[in-house]
This record gives sequence, C-alpha cells and structure tokens, in this order.
Amino acid sequence: MSYSDKVIDHYNNPRNVGSMDKSSNDVGTGLVGAPECGDVMKLQIRVNRDTNVIEEAKFKTFGCGSAIASSSLATEWVKGKTVDEALTIKNMDIVKELSLPPVKIHCSVLAEDAIRSAIADWKKKQETTKPVAVEAK
Amino acid sequence: MTLTSITAKPAPEETQTCWSCGSMRASHFCEACGKVQPPAPVDYFTFFGLPRKLNIDVALLDRDFYELSRKLHPDLNARAGSQEQEWSLQQSSRLNDAHRVLKDPIKRTEYLLKLEGVELEEQSKSATEQARVTGQLKKQVVPPDLLEEVFELNMQLEELRAQKKMGEDDPALIEEIGRQKLELEEKHEALLEELKKYWKGWDALIDRQLARQAVSQEERKQVRDKMVDLLNRRNYIRNLVRDVSEVLGD
Repeated sequence: MSYSDKVIDHYNNPRNVGSMDKSSNDVGTGLVGAPECGDVMKLQIRVNRDTNVIEEAKFKTFGCGSAIASSSLATEWVKGKTVDEALTIKNMDIVKELSLPPVKIHCSVLAEDAIRSAIADWKKKQETTKPVAVEAK
Repeated sequence: MTLTSITAKPAPEETQTCWSCGSMRASHFCEACGKVQPPAPVDYFTFFGLPRKLNIDVALLDRDFYELSRKLHPDLNARAGSQEQEWSLQQSSRLNDAHRVLKDPIKRTEYLLKLEGVELEEQSKSATEQARVTGQLKKQVVPPDLLEEVFELNMQLEELRAQKKMGEDDPALIEEIGRQKLELEEKHEALLEELKKYWKGWDALIDRQLARQAVSQEERKQVRDKMVDLLNRRNYIRNLVRDVSEVLGD
C-alpha cells in the first residue's frame, strides 16, 4: 500500500499543529482514539460566540500518516465554518479527498469523531456559562 | 497418537467419503487408505479438531501441528498425482495459518471473536455512524482517562525524541518515562490476566453447550463484549510500551 500525494503532503506539512488553552471558554477540545490501531487524536476549535464560526483549529495526532493527514485536513475544513456546518463533515468526505484505502478508513472516522467531540465540548461550555436569567421577584 | 485424536473426531457435517477409496474419511486424511483429502472449508479450531474454547493446551497444539506438517508436506506427496499434491499444498498452508493464530493468545481471542461475528476493525466506524444518525455524542470505545494518559505520555516521548536529536538528554524525563514504562508493563500483564478470566467464562459456556444445556445470546454477548473491551485497551498499552522502548533504546 502506498500513500496518496495528498496524504504525503499533509504528513510532511501538517496544517494547524498545536494546542490551545483547554480551559478557555471559547475553546472546544476533542480527544479521541481508534482502538483498532491504538492511535490518539486531539482536535481543538476556537469558536466566535456571536457568530458560532470556528475561527481557529489545532490538532495533535499520534498515529500513522493517514491519521495525521485526516486530522490536518479536518482542521483546514472546519476553519471558517459554523459549528453546525462543521457537523456535516463526514468521514467519507475525508476518505475521498485523501484517497484513503479501505484499511485506513478508521483514520477518517477518528477525524470525524474528533470534530464532533470538540464541538460537543464547546457546546457544553456554552450551556454552563450562559448568563442565568434573574428571576423577577 | 495425537493424529488419531484429530482425525477421529471430525465435525459431523465435514464427514465425507474418501475421493480415492470411497471409505468414510476424517478431516485431512482418509482413515482407511491415508490419502490426503481436499481441504474442507472449516475454521481453525475445527481444523485441529478442537471445540471453540479459548484455553488451549499449546504443547499439544504444537505436537499436532508438527505431526500434521510432516504428513501434509507437499514434498512428501510429490510423487502423488498433481491433484493430491495441490491439496496437500493447500492443507499445509491452512495448517500454518491455523497454528500461527491459535498458538498466540491474543490472535486466538481475536479470531474467536471474529467467528462470533464481532467486527473488531469496524467497531469505531459503526459507533460513529450511529452517533451521526442519533445526533448523540459517540461513545468512545476506549475510556477517556486511558486516552488522556496515552496522549500525555506520547507528548513526553516526543519531547525526549527531540532532546535526543539535539544530543541532550534530560535525566529526570528519562527516569519519569522509565517509571511509566514499568507501570504500563504491569498494566499489560494485568489486562492479560483479566482476559484469561473471561476465557474461563467463555469456555464454561461452550462446555454447557457441548453438554446440550441452554446458553442464552445475552450470556454469550456479555463475555464477548468484555473481551472486546480488553483487547481494545490492550492495543493502546502495547503501542505505548513499544514506543517507549524504542525511545529509551532498550
């Protein structure tokens, strides 16, 4: 099996590697794993609270080339999207874009999981930090 | 002799007549004339005449393996008709596969789970598809605290690799990683012990089945799911131990 050019490109020049402050209110963090191969992927998003647009995305993945390329691509794709738009990204979109072979499909699954999980974390933070309406006496 | 123990108890549906002499035959050879038989489409357990149990006497398995290897070796059947030679070649190759999988405790467990319909490779994918449909957050197959631990240790390993490249080692970091390696190895051992506990549970179900007692799907599923969970966690630990050993250079 050989990697496609796009995978190699993302692997050699991964976009948006890094991390953001996990405790920050406008940052959502997803930490997910693929038990099939023991890969682990962290993906973080910074969301504009007024527009719900993902303005920044970072990732760090420990795994094979396909897992790194999938998460790198995922950060590129979510940037500029609203959280709801980002939720429509499917693993098969990633498979097509990177021409992943069947044995590497779980890498794209991991990336989709990471997006969902980061958004869920962000949403949870928004619920808990929402200003509580003061009940009129 | 061990071979008779294998050839004497073929699964009933596998029993046919010998292509050569017409006598009833067992799995690999004709009982009457000893000719190699065409390979039957059976699972690895059946190939060795074993029930689908996880506790296996590996010494006995090895003995049967060598015995069968000798008898099935294509060279021995070189002067036989080309059809027989072809069969012994196919049987030999299947024998090697079956032996390699069954002698290894993890491969054996994975194989059994596959026979039981568990798609180890697909579990993450199907859980994601389910999450997509229901809009619920996907239940991670691996506990979050383990993921956290795996991630942190990987970060440390990366730091140590970078340091080594620069030609400088941080003794404190090396010591810390070495300590974690010991912990991981202990965890790995503990997981294997736990797995063996479920082997016992599984084998007990098979024994009951062989004794024609009722075994519910729920009972099977419970033991099966536990084993899947253990194998998943083990994959992470195994990778970590491998990576740590590589970085520490031992």
